[in-house]
Amino acid sequence: MKTGLTVFLATAVAFGASWLGLVYGPIAQLGGQQQTVVLQSGDTWPQQRTGDATLGLQVYRAYGCAACHTQQARQSGVADEITLTSLGSDKAADLKDYVKTLLVLPSLLEASNTIVANLEAWNGQVPLTLYSGQDSAVVATLADKLKAGGLKTDARVVASGPDLARGWGVRQSVAADYLYDVPVQLGSLRAGPDLSIIGVRSPDVNWQLQHLYAPRSLVKSSTMPAFRFLFTVRKAGAQPAPDALVLPPEFAPAAGLEVVPTAEARQLAAYLVSLKATAPLYEAPFTPVTAAK
Amino acid sequence: MNDENKSCCPPPEAEPTATRSAAPMWIIVVTLMVLFFGGLYLDSHSGWFDAKVYAPYNSAEMLESFQPLSGAAQAAAQGKKVYEAVCGICHGVDGAGKPGQAPPLAGSEWVTAKGMSRLTHIPLQGLNGPIKVAGKDWTLNMAAMGAALPDSDLAAVLTYIRNSWGNKAGEVSADDVKKVRDAIGGHPQPMSGDDLTKMPE
Amino acid sequence: MNPAETKSISPAEIDASCRVPLLALFGGAALWLVLGLGLGIAAMLSFHAPNMFADCPVLTYGRAQAAANDLLLYGFVIPAALGVMLWIFARLSQAPLALPIVPVAAANLWHLGVLVGTGAILAGQSTGYPWLEYPRVAAVLLFAGFMLAAVSAAATMGFRRDREMHPAHWFLFASLLWFVWSYSTANLFLLPAHPPRGVVQAVVAWWFGNNLLFVWLALAGVGMAFYFLPKFAGKPLAGTGYALFAFLTLIVSATWCGIPRSAPVPAWLPALSTYAAMLAIIPVLAIAIIAWRTISGSGFCVTGGPNCFVRFGTLSFVLSALLYLGAWCPRGSQILDLTWYGFGVSQWQLLGFAGMMLLGGIYHILPRIMAKDLPFPLLAKANAFIFGFGVLIYVLPLLAGGLEQGLKLRDPSVPFADVSAASLLFLRISTTGQLLLLVGALCLLVNVLLMTLQWKIALAKSAIAAVLAPLETRPEAGTPKEVKS
Repeated sequence: MKTGLTVFLATAVAFGASWLGLVYGPIAQLGGQQQTVVLQSGDTWPQQRTGDATLGLQVYRAYGCAACHTQQARQSGVADEITLTSLGSDKAADLKDYVKTLLVLPSLLEASNTIVANLEAWNGQVPLTLYSGQDSAVVATLADKLKAGGLKTDARVVASGPDLARGWGVRQSVAADYLYDVPVQLGSLRAGPDLSIIGVRSPDVNWQLQHLYAPRSLVKSSTMPAFRFLFTVRKAGAQPAPDALVLPPEFAPAAGLEVVPTAEARQLAAYLVSLKATAPLYEAPFTPVTAAK
Repeated sequence: MNDENKSCCPPPEAEPTATRSAAPMWIIVVTLMVLFFGGLYLDSHSGWFDAKVYAPYNSAEMLESFQPLSGAAQAAAQGKKVYEAVCGICHGVDGAGKPGQAPPLAGSEWVTAKGMSRLTHIPLQGLNGPIKVAGKDWTLNMAAMGAALPDSDLAAVLTYIRNSWGNKAGEVSADDVKKVRDAIGGHPQPMSGDDLTKMPE
Repeated sequence: MNPAETKSISPAEIDASCRVPLLALFGGAALWLVLGLGLGIAAMLSFHAPNMFADCPVLTYGRAQAAANDLLLYGFVIPAALGVMLWIFARLSQAPLALPIVPVAAANLWHLGVLVGTGAILAGQSTGYPWLEYPRVAAVLLFAGFMLAAVSAAATMGFRRDREMHPAHWFLFASLLWFVWSYSTANLFLLPAHPPRGVVQAVVAWWFGNNLLFVWLALAGVGMAFYFLPKFAGKPLAGTGYALFAFLTLIVSATWCGIPRSAPVPAWLPALSTYAAMLAIIPVLAIAIIAWRTISGSGFCVTGGPNCFVRFGTLSFVLSALLYLGAWCPRGSQILDLTWYGFGVSQWQLLGFAGMMLLGGIYHILPRIMAKDLPFPLLAKANAFIFGFGVLIYVLPLLAGGLEQGLKLRDPSVPFADVSAASLLFLRISTTGQLLLLVGALCLLVNVLLMTLQWKIALAKSAIAAVLAPLETRPEAGTPKEVKS
C-alpha cells in the first residue's frame, strides 16, 4: 500500500462491512421489537416492570452487579418427548406388543430402535417415556395411535442443558426477555449464580434483602461481598420497624439496634424478585409443567 | 546518545526496512479452505438470519417442528387458564364451590360421569336448581357461562375439571362440544335440575 | 500534503520535537497504570476477604473492577500507544512531529477524561456496558483528545520524506481510524437516552469490546512490533507482501468476532462470529511467522532491554489471540464462556501484549526524547522480568480457574458453592501476580516521574540562569567584572 488514501479506503471498507453486519443489521432486525405472545396462551411477554423494580435496575447497574452475575440461561438441546401416563385396562405385555406392531409405520421406522430399547428397559410401571428425540412426527404418530387405542399419553417439548438442569432457567434466554431493560445487564462472568429466574427461585423480598446484607447468613460458603452500605443500622424503638431485617444472632447488630433497608436496597430487591423469564415463547418452546391439584 | 541496551542486538539508529517477499501460497490456500468450510458451517448453523431461530435450533423448520403439539398437557394449561377466568369466580379456583354461590366440582358425580354430553349441556344452556351434588341440595341459578366460549376452550375447561382436584374422568374434545352445541340449537333455555337428572350421560 | 523538507533532519532533532507531547502522554499513562493495578488488587480483595468493603460503596467489586479495567485500557494503554505511535510516525517520516502543541492538548483532555470517568464509575454513574463505562462527559473528552492526537499523527505521516509506506504505517494509521470510528459508534448508539431496544445494546457493546480489545489492540501493537522487531534485530521485516496479507485479513475478519456463542441473540450472530474467529486465526499465524522470520538468527534476549519487552509482547499477542479465538470453538465455548477464562484472556491482551509492548516502546523512546539516560536503568531492565512474570502469574491461574469453573458448571450435580470455592485458590495465586505487576508499574512510574522532574529542574535552572545572567554581566560603573557563563 503506497498511500494513506489506500489504507484509509481499505480500513473504511472493512470497518463499514462489520458495522453494517453487526451494528446496523441487529438494530434493523431486533431494534424495533415489540412484546411477543406466550405460547398457548393470550398473555404477552415481557411485562413492563413497575415502581421499585424499574429503579432497581439502575441500582444493579450502579453497583456493577453484572461483574459477577449473568442474566442469561443457556440451552444446549431440545427434545420432543412422549410419555405414556396411564395403561388403562391393558397389561404391560399387551402394550409392548401393541407398540411393536405400530413400528412398521413409515414415520416410526427410523425411531424404532430407540422405542424398542425403551420398551425393553421398562419396568412395567407408568409413566413410561416411549421416545425422546428430535423427530416431532414420531411423537405425533404415537400420540394419535395410542389415543386411538384408549391409552393416555403426554407429549412434551423438553429443553435441556447444564444451566437448566441446575435450576437456573426453564428455557434459554432470548431477546424478548430484555425488551424493557436499559441498560441490558447480561453479565459475562459467573462468579455468582445466574439471575435470569432468581425471582422464581427466591421470590421473597426479605430473603433478597437479608442476602444483600449478610450473604453468608443464608449461603454459608458464599463469596459475595456484603452490601452493608445499602442498609442503615439504627436504634430500635419500642417495637422493631416493620421492615427491619430478621437476622441470625451472629449477623445481627448489637442489642437495641436494628437493620433497616435503604430505598436503594428495596429497589434492588424488588428488581431481583421481578426476574422471572419462564414464559414459553415461539423462539424458545417448551412444555411448562402445570400442576392441577 | 547512550544506548543502555548492550544486549545481543544493539538497536541501530537506522529506521527499520522491510523486504518485498509476498505471502506464501500455502497460507492463501489455507485461507480459501477456511472461507469455504466456514461458509458451510454458516449455512448449517445460522438459521439463515431468521430473527426467531436461536441456537440450538439450526433452522426455521427445526424450530417449527418443536412447537408443542396440542395434547393433554397443552389443553390442561389452556383449560386451567379459561377456568380461572370464567368459572373459578363462583366455583372456586380449587373447585370446592361456595355456599350460596356455586356447588363444588371436586367430587361431583355430574362432572365425573363416564359420558360427557350431559355435563356439556350445563355451561352451554345454563342450569336452575334445585340439584343434588355430592349429597347436598343446591338451589341456585347458573347462566350459560360457556355459550360464548369457542369449542376448543370449552372442551379444555371441561377436560380440566374432569381431571383436577381428585377427579378422574375422560377427556372432552372440541368435536364433542360441537355436537352438543349443534344438538341444543339456537336460543338455549336453562335446564332445571329435573331435566338434567333425566338426561342421559 | 506538503512537500518534505529537503534538508535532512537528525534523529535527535526528531526526538526533541516529540519531547513535551510524549512526556505528557507517558507521564499520565504511567500514573494511571499504577492506579489501575492498585484498584484491580482492591477489587480482587473482595474475593479474599468478602466483608472488607462492606461499608464502602466506592470500592465494591462491581465498581472497582470496572474502574480498574478502564484505567488499564483508557488510562494506560491508549495514551501510551498514542505516544509511541507519534514517535514512530515522526521517525519513519524522518520529519519532526507535526503540530507538537496539539498532542499536548490531546494528552490533557484525555487524562482529564480518564479522571472524570474513573470518578464517575466509583460514584455509581457508570453506563453499565463493559469497556464503555465512562459516562457521556468523559467519553466526549476522550474522543476529543484522541481526535487531536490522531490529527497530529496523520499530519506527521503526511509529511514523510519517503513516500513509500512501511507496514508499520498501515497498521498504526488503521488503528487511529479504527478507534475513532468504533468509539464514536458505540457511544452514539449506547449512551443517549433511548438506545436501541433490548439485547441489541449488548450486541453493540460486544462488537465494540471486540473491536477495541482485539482489533484495535492488534493493529496498534502489531504495528509497533513490525517497527521495533526489525529495528532491534538489525534485520529487515520479513515481507511487505506478507504483512499486507496479514493486515488485510486481520481487518476483514477480526472485526466480526465478539458475539459470544452463549449470547441470547438469534443464531446468525454467534454463527458469524464463529466463522470470523476461524478466519482470524490466519492473520495471527501470519503475524507470528513474519515476527519469527524477522528475529530468527538474532539471538536470545535475556538482559531485559526494550527488545525483551517487545518480543514478550509479540509472543503474548499470538498466544492471547489464539486463546481468545479458541473460545469460539463449539466445545470450547460450552465450557469456557461466562467464566474467568474470558477475563483472563482480556487481561493478557491488555497487560501481556499491549502492556509489555508499550513498556518496551517507552523505555526505548524515553532516553532518546530526553537526550539522557534513564535515571534507574537497572530498574528498567528488572521491570521486564517483574512485569513479564507478573503477567504470567496473574493470567495463567485465571485461565486455569476458568477452565475448572466451566467444567464444574457443566455438571449440574456440582453445587454452585463448590464451583465458586474451587476458583478461590486460583484467584489467590492470581492476586500475587497482580502485586508483582504493581511493583513493575512502580518501576516505570519512578523512571518516568524522575525523568520529568530532572527535565523540569533543568528547565527551571536554565530559566533562572537566563534571568540572572544579564544581572551578572551588567558591569559595575568603571569596573570590568568577570562574566560567568
